[in-house]
Amino acid sequence: MTEKYFKQEMFPTIWCPGCGIGLTTKELARAFEELKLKNSQISIVSGIGCSGRAAGYFNMDTIHGCHGRAIPVAEGLKRANPKLNVIVFSGDGDIVGIGGNHLIHSPRRDTDITVICINNQTYGLTGGQLAPTAKEGTVTLTSPEGSSYHPFNIQGIVSANKRFFYARTTVFHIDHLRKCIKEAIQFKGFSFIEVISNCVETYGKRQGYKNAYEMLMEYKKLKIANNKDRLEDDEIGIIKKE
Amino acid sequence: MVKQLLQGNEAICLGALKAGMKFFAGYPITPASEIMHFLAKRKDTTFVHAEDELASMNMIIGSSLGGAKSMTATSGPGFSLKQEGIGLAHMMEVPAVVVNCQRVGPSTGMPTLGAQGDILQSAYGSHGDIFPIVLYPNSVEECYIYTIEAFNAAEQSRSPVILMTDTSISHIYETIDTDEIDKKIKIQPRTLKPFGTGTRHFTGLAHEGDIPKTKDTENYRKWMKNYKKKQLEAANNYNFYEYFGKKDSDTLLIAYGITSRVISPLKEKFAIFRPIRMFPILQELKDIAGKYKNIIVIEQNEGQYKHEIDALLKKEVKGIYIHGGTILLSEIKEKLKSLGIEK
Repeated sequence: MTEKYFKQEMFPTIWCPGCGIGLTTKELARAFEELKLKNSQISIVSGIGCSGRAAGYFNMDTIHGCHGRAIPVAEGLKRANPKLNVIVFSGDGDIVGIGGNHLIHSPRRDTDITVICINNQTYGLTGGQLAPTAKEGTVTLTSPEGSSYHPFNIQGIVSANKRFFYARTTVFHIDHLRKCIKEAIQFKGFSFIEVISNCVETYGKRQGYKNAYEMLMEYKKLKIANNKDRLEDDEIGIIKKE
Repeated sequence: MVKQLLQGNEAICLGALKAGMKFFAGYPITPASEIMHFLAKRKDTTFVHAEDELASMNMIIGSSLGGAKSMTATSGPGFSLKQEGIGLAHMMEVPAVVVNCQRVGPSTGMPTLGAQGDILQSAYGSHGDIFPIVLYPNSVEECYIYTIEAFNAAEQSRSPVILMTDTSISHIYETIDTDEIDKKIKIQPRTLKPFGTGTRHFTGLAHEGDIPKTKDTENYRKWMKNYKKKQLEAANNYNFYEYFGKKDSDTLLIAYGITSRVISPLKEKFAIFRPIRMFPILQELKDIAGKYKNIIVIEQNEGQYKHEIDALLKKEVKGIYIHGGTILLSEIKEKLKSLGIEK
């Protein structure tokens, strides 16, 4: 029963029909349930954007802070209150874009927090601008002729550290998503989960997808890889060094 | 009991520890760095050398909500970066202390001669309306006292309180007796329950309790009214100032921080008002200034506090602007002469 982890009075959420953020919040709550965590043992910290609104739906002490600063807020919270399981739940624009410096340094300090990064390859809430995670050629409001840049290598940054936990999963593979979350929470140190998620309204439709289903079918093609040192672009899985 | 030779920045650290600080995050910047050097060695507080000023400000918001009295310290260039977090802490009502040791600006300016150019930034640096409590000591002893009071005010107002210094006040060495001060000063206990005890949602969005209200003008206006009232009421417990000198003179000099120390020999001829609580502006300043024919604000900037006093008194007072860098009594006397005050 995951109901106890949510503030029922906050529903419905602000997210568009077909969005993957809701699925991820549900899997996070299921992971809490399976790990038998009490609400008082958890805190969720979010930044700004569609994913940033997630913290407000959880039924525990939570923070919804400034754009890009979820990781340092979470680090301060964890270091002051080490018994809490501190989960950052935010988007790629927030964590990889404007908050990029913190994504370099908090893992370097091996802060014992878990970051769930919804990677929808766009700035959804502001209408669909080019995110640093978008593939070369992606047409958006701020890249009308297609992006000329390579996407940000999140795996590379997180796994550059001596100890690390990096997982890549998608909102299609919900069991795998939940497995990644559970392992990340149990990992002692900085753990990062990149959740590839569909923003059909401000991103997918501009890329030629008709609906969320078509985007999910695209994610279905990704293969689950086990016991690897590095995930290829068409793979999902967990890499870690303890 | 025992006098110690301390630097202003060291006294700030000892004051913070006395107030019960359990978390500090900072980023190196002259003339504030000694605060980091001092606290890095302490075992009675958590210390983080953050990757940047944004991180350190946001870390103390998280740590404060986690249950620890928290502080960060910086100088002008870092203070500009901390403003987004200061605004967030006002919106979320999170207690914290932010120390700003002023140096010459704008930008990198003259590293690291002193100035007082961040006075308006301390009150108006955030976007949106905020009503911060700003304290400004002018000696090593006061650095100790008003750091404790800054923590007290932060707890009482549930907001980030700004403690201002300048290069001189941060770097000056003086002897102080902390034991004697401790006998007289009260420590405000924590009122905010730590995380893990409730189901609260702290958000930078306009809100009503735990619930974000992004399209509700009426709710926002009600919140702003209550927030302002809370800030002003809390500030009224911290009405710190000094009023001395030749009170029956027709001239009142207003100065703070290092400038107030440079002009102190003029007390034989003029009345002097030194605000210690810079913001919200003291009612006492209005009442006392109203009695004088000539009011002259002397400061190390282009009249930042003077403009506030103009607005407060609804008339234009005189200003002596000693721009950043060297500050000499002889220069101030010259300027008083040119105003026809000093003969």
